[in-house]
Amino acid sequence: MSVTPLVELRGIVKRFPNVVANDRVDFSLMPGEVHALLGENAAGKTTLMNILYGLYQPDEGEIYVKGKRVRIRSPADSIRLGIGMVHQSFRLIPVHTVWENVVLGLKEAGFVLNRKKLTDMVKKFCEEYGWNIDPNARVWQLSVGEKQQVELLKLLVRRAEVLILDEPTSVLTPQETKGLFKAIRTMAKSGKGIIFITHKLEEALEVSDRVTVMRKGRVVATKPTGEVTAEELANLMIGRPVLFKIEKPEVKKGGIVLEAKGLKVMGDRGVLALDGVNLCAHSGEIVGIAGIAGNGQEELMEALAGLRRVEAGKVFIDGEDVTNKGAGYLIGKGVSYIPPESTRWAIVRDMRLVENIALKFYRSRDFSGMLRIDWHKLFEFSRKLIDEYGIAAHSPSTLAGTLSGGNLQRVVLARELSATQDGKVPRLILAAYPTKGLDVAATEFVHSLLLKHRSMGSAIVFLSEDLEEIMMLSDRIVVISKGKVVGEFLSKEKTVEEVGMMMLKGSAA
Amino acid sequence: MFMLERRMDISRKASSLFVLLSLLLAFFVTGLIFHLLGVDVAQFYSTICNVFITPALLLQAVFRSIPIILASLGLVVAFRMGFWNIGAEGQIYLGMIAATGIVILHVSYGAIPASLMLVAMGVASFLAGGAWCLIPASLKVRLGVNEVLTTLMLNYIAMLFTDYLVYGPWRDPEGWGFALSIPFPEYATLKYCGNPSTVGIVISVAVAGFVYFLFKYTKLGFTLSVLGKSSDVAKYAGMQAGRATLLGSIISGGMAGLGGLYVVSGMMGRLRPRASPGYGYTAIIVAMLVQLNPWLILPAGVFFGGLLTAGDALQSSLRLPFSAITVFQSVIFLCIILAEFFRRYRVVLRRL
Repeated sequence: MSVTPLVELRGIVKRFPNVVANDRVDFSLMPGEVHALLGENAAGKTTLMNILYGLYQPDEGEIYVKGKRVRIRSPADSIRLGIGMVHQSFRLIPVHTVWENVVLGLKEAGFVLNRKKLTDMVKKFCEEYGWNIDPNARVWQLSVGEKQQVELLKLLVRRAEVLILDEPTSVLTPQETKGLFKAIRTMAKSGKGIIFITHKLEEALEVSDRVTVMRKGRVVATKPTGEVTAEELANLMIGRPVLFKIEKPEVKKGGIVLEAKGLKVMGDRGVLALDGVNLCAHSGEIVGIAGIAGNGQEELMEALAGLRRVEAGKVFIDGEDVTNKGAGYLIGKGVSYIPPESTRWAIVRDMRLVENIALKFYRSRDFSGMLRIDWHKLFEFSRKLIDEYGIAAHSPSTLAGTLSGGNLQRVVLARELSATQDGKVPRLILAAYPTKGLDVAATEFVHSLLLKHRSMGSAIVFLSEDLEEIMMLSDRIVVISKGKVVGEFLSKEKTVEEVGMMMLKGSAA
Repeated sequence: MFMLERRMDISRKASSLFVLLSLLLAFFVTGLIFHLLGVDVAQFYSTICNVFITPALLLQAVFRSIPIILASLGLVVAFRMGFWNIGAEGQIYLGMIAATGIVILHVSYGAIPASLMLVAMGVASFLAGGAWCLIPASLKVRLGVNEVLTTLMLNYIAMLFTDYLVYGPWRDPEGWGFALSIPFPEYATLKYCGNPSTVGIVISVAVAGFVYFLFKYTKLGFTLSVLGKSSDVAKYAGMQAGRATLLGSIISGGMAGLGGLYVVSGMMGRLRPRASPGYGYTAIIVAMLVQLNPWLILPAGVFFGGLLTAGDALQSSLRLPFSAITVFQSVIFLCIILAEFFRRYRVVLRRL
């Protein structure tokens, strides 16, 4: 006899402009099961769960709850169906008490609130899970772990049978994590199904019964946890080898261009994203930064490009101290930056191509006087770049927003890699995921450009989600984990597997 | 089920069409409102049309449109850089105060030679309007304070401060107790340079040309446009966003300040309380209507100047209060917002 799954998603497709976030995803959750949903950032995990929770509507596909086809239009629908979600950022009212937060919006609570009955109910649930929260405490007085327990209480009180936890451990201390795992097991024992979203491998292995690995919007594997090893999961998550080969000419390494010493940088959430990173790059050298997404590599790039404040440490370009001198100054020093999500950071969608190309040239003496910009010259220049970089646009006055993502990436490359100031080659090229989302031909084009600039003497620091790409393209590799450099070696000294383990374990293997 | 979908690309032609449709809709809705109120709509519209075909009235419309046009051109600068300046009204009052202050300095203390009066008044009103706009801009740059609120609140401060001045220290001692400043000597009025309407047209065209040139050719203009379209990209491109915002806000407020100069020096010849019937607010509608195109501000401004003129005519012909015109203006504004919405989103019928 087969048990009916609590939830079943079939062939879910969700498209966003320029990206397919979920591509025919199948997923199921059995009663009493802890199902880990594993994948790197932007693999489509959260999108999938937002669809199940009713925040997004799928473009295609079907959702079944306990064998019945349903349509979930809003979180209200999903709560009615017994599906609850704990988001990464808590949705609690700090000045209210625990029980008030728990019963907020609860229909069963009635119109007149019976405080005694409701606090007793909250207490009962706390005892069941071994939590030690006072229902009358104000939420702002609680620790992060306790706040999460309040979020879980909200779901338990509403008799949710499916609990979606979105990266629940990212804010917890190791002790709190242990407590959470215990509670998760207790919930599973009582027949509830738990979906545990994470990008941490060890946690998936520790707490789940089954693992689904997502990569680039697709499910690459669903397996019972007992049947997989950490190495297998790592390979599934990070991806299998790419099938093209790179011809890498010998280039004589020149002098040091970039030198960063003891960099400390804050992340967006106000926690230390980089904790004392040392990095250098020579002229004619490609340095690859390897690491699981979210370990500080994007913050590193921003700090080097002058876009993120350096709290401690120093950055030198060609021996000059440029710490916190700002992006404008660094651009003048010949630093190019290809940011991740270039369509957000590096392209103004409702401006023309010529204006997008002008972004970094309009201050150069070649293209402007004291006051006026020489648009005529910039037009000619843009026309040349459109040809040279194979941008599919018939004129420099095409609106950038009408081009495809791959073409916009070419526009960014054209701007960042061409002679920045006064006909010089960029001194330092910072490239964050320059081939992300590109097809094979476009990827090869980017590789050849980076290698060409390496031959011309630029220093290149680049990030990629594809470890194989880093191994092939880089001369030297720096592995970053939790904001620290955990390994540094020449690319020929190690295998992909060794580097992969180093990224995951956060220490030299 | 009907759903909204973001339009990926918006053609220029389509968006002009939406604006025209929104204007037509405004005429229709206003007509409907007045019809339900028992007003003769045909006569209502013929009174308005009459303004634009009768030379004397048209001239009056142009005359009254100058402060609107100047303030509106200032708003083009602010809106293009993504600074939502709702404070043109207050900046106009500051321009009036500064111009009047120069006159009083001259008359009471003989501080400035008569021949330099108009130049000094122009500079002072530009700087005063600019400074008034610089306050919310620096609050935004330094502390991240929302400029919509601060610019709006500063309007009331400016208006009430003007009241204080004309009821108090600046009241004309020979004015029979009326709340008026001293009358400006002739060399401190625009009549000194010629017909005030002509002078106004020349100034408006020059300022429109300046705004056009600023955004089309200059580094500052380019910086401001990028800043307005995406502050993330501006930061990425190493632009000094804070400095550009401050500079842009001075230019924006300064132009409204010039509008204030025109009111006291071109229209009234002295400072009065509530000297602006909301020029600064009408300027917002004008700027939005023409989608921040500096040249189109000129005809659109005249249209709204004509509505003000029509307001006077409606009081006598249909016995409608002046606020009838305010209703019309507001309906136009709502329709523009509606058009903006449909310009960005498409309604699609989707079967689930």
